[in-house]
Amino acid sequence: MRRALVYGLAALVGLLVIAAFAFVLLQPIQVLPRIRLAPAWVLRDREGRLVSNEDLRGQIVLYTFTYTRCRPPCPQPDRTMQAIYRRLAAADLGDVPVTLMTISFDVAHDSPAVLKAYAAAWGAEDDRWRFAVGTDPQRLKTVIGEGFQVYYQPREDGRFDFDPVYILVDGWGIIRREYRYRTLTPDVDRIVRHIGVLAEEVQNSRGAARLAYEAAHLFLCYAP
Amino acid sequence: MSPQVNAPHLEVDVYEKRWLLLSVVLLVLFTLAIGLSSFAYGIQVPSPEQRVNPNTVAQEGPWAQPGLRELAPGKYEAYVLAQIWTFLPNTITVKAGSTVTFYITSKDVQHGFQLEGTNVNLMVLPGQVSKLTATFKQPGEYRFVCHEYCGVGHHTMFGKVVVEP
Repeated sequence: MRRALVYGLAALVGLLVIAAFAFVLLQPIQVLPRIRLAPAWVLRDREGRLVSNEDLRGQIVLYTFTYTRCRPPCPQPDRTMQAIYRRLAAADLGDVPVTLMTISFDVAHDSPAVLKAYAAAWGAEDDRWRFAVGTDPQRLKTVIGEGFQVYYQPREDGRFDFDPVYILVDGWGIIRREYRYRTLTPDVDRIVRHIGVLAEEVQNSRGAARLAYEAAHLFLCYAP
Repeated sequence: MSPQVNAPHLEVDVYEKRWLLLSVVLLVLFTLAIGLSSFAYGIQVPSPEQRVNPNTVAQEGPWAQPGLRELAPGKYEAYVLAQIWTFLPNTITVKAGSTVTFYITSKDVQHGFQLEGTNVNLMVLPGQVSKLTATFKQPGEYRFVCHEYCGVGHHTMFGKVVVEP
């Protein structure tokens, strides 16, 4: 009797271990890592309205940082943003809102009016792709440099040194993915796929499924 | 008369039992130590991020001009390119108390990157980007070396982080 109990317990533990291994190896659920909190910010958008990160709570937000006078050979990150904007318009993400956010670090030149013309040139018609700029260069450096950990440096001729970086933030304000350099998979494909993974988690991690999603986080089942 | 069968009785010596027990205890202890050190002390395991193209990585993007960049006061990122047989850059100068995030990749063969006095100890593989963050509290010179054999000039592949007071 007692022996049966011991064997039963051992079998149960063994099954649990095998189940955990199977979960880790087969990865039935994939998630994006929770990297760190995104910084808070208050900026002016192209209509001159004040916008803050709190206005975008509950939305998946893809950030990029550039300036409107960026012309080739300056790497134009908004080319990628435009492609994503078009792909997302056709994508089915359920009722999960996604916002693209282009932040300009050219405080001296990029006024709301300049941003508005710039946005129109890229074909951004609605608030699914927003543009914003700060007023205080030091505060902007704190947000972009220290908070988002994105490098930019003004040059003497008024241009900027920077590399295109895209940062994906979820509805809780947590950074879930950073794209800092070109990989073998084109940025547009990766980012659109990751937005899909994130939207799926938002929609599906309810009730008991939430535990499965938390297990995916615990076992580092990260989408490639 | 039925044949008497003696059930084989396994007699384990008391010393052997103790050794068995000790080895199980050691296994459990070491497993706990790994768990504790990774969660409680925040030891970072170097993670391969997404793959890059080693043939073009030095021509565009951040490794086209490798070096130290200031993100904000006291916060830096360093894009380091490893190649036969040198690091670009091979001298990095920061102020004491600075935090530096290293992004390292190789454009040819497999290299290594070990920075003395910190937990930065990475494999540098062509096609992969290794990333780690270190905070330099004490002023001084922190040497880094390539510690994966990469060819005849392997021993000349080193550099230093100079931390100014």
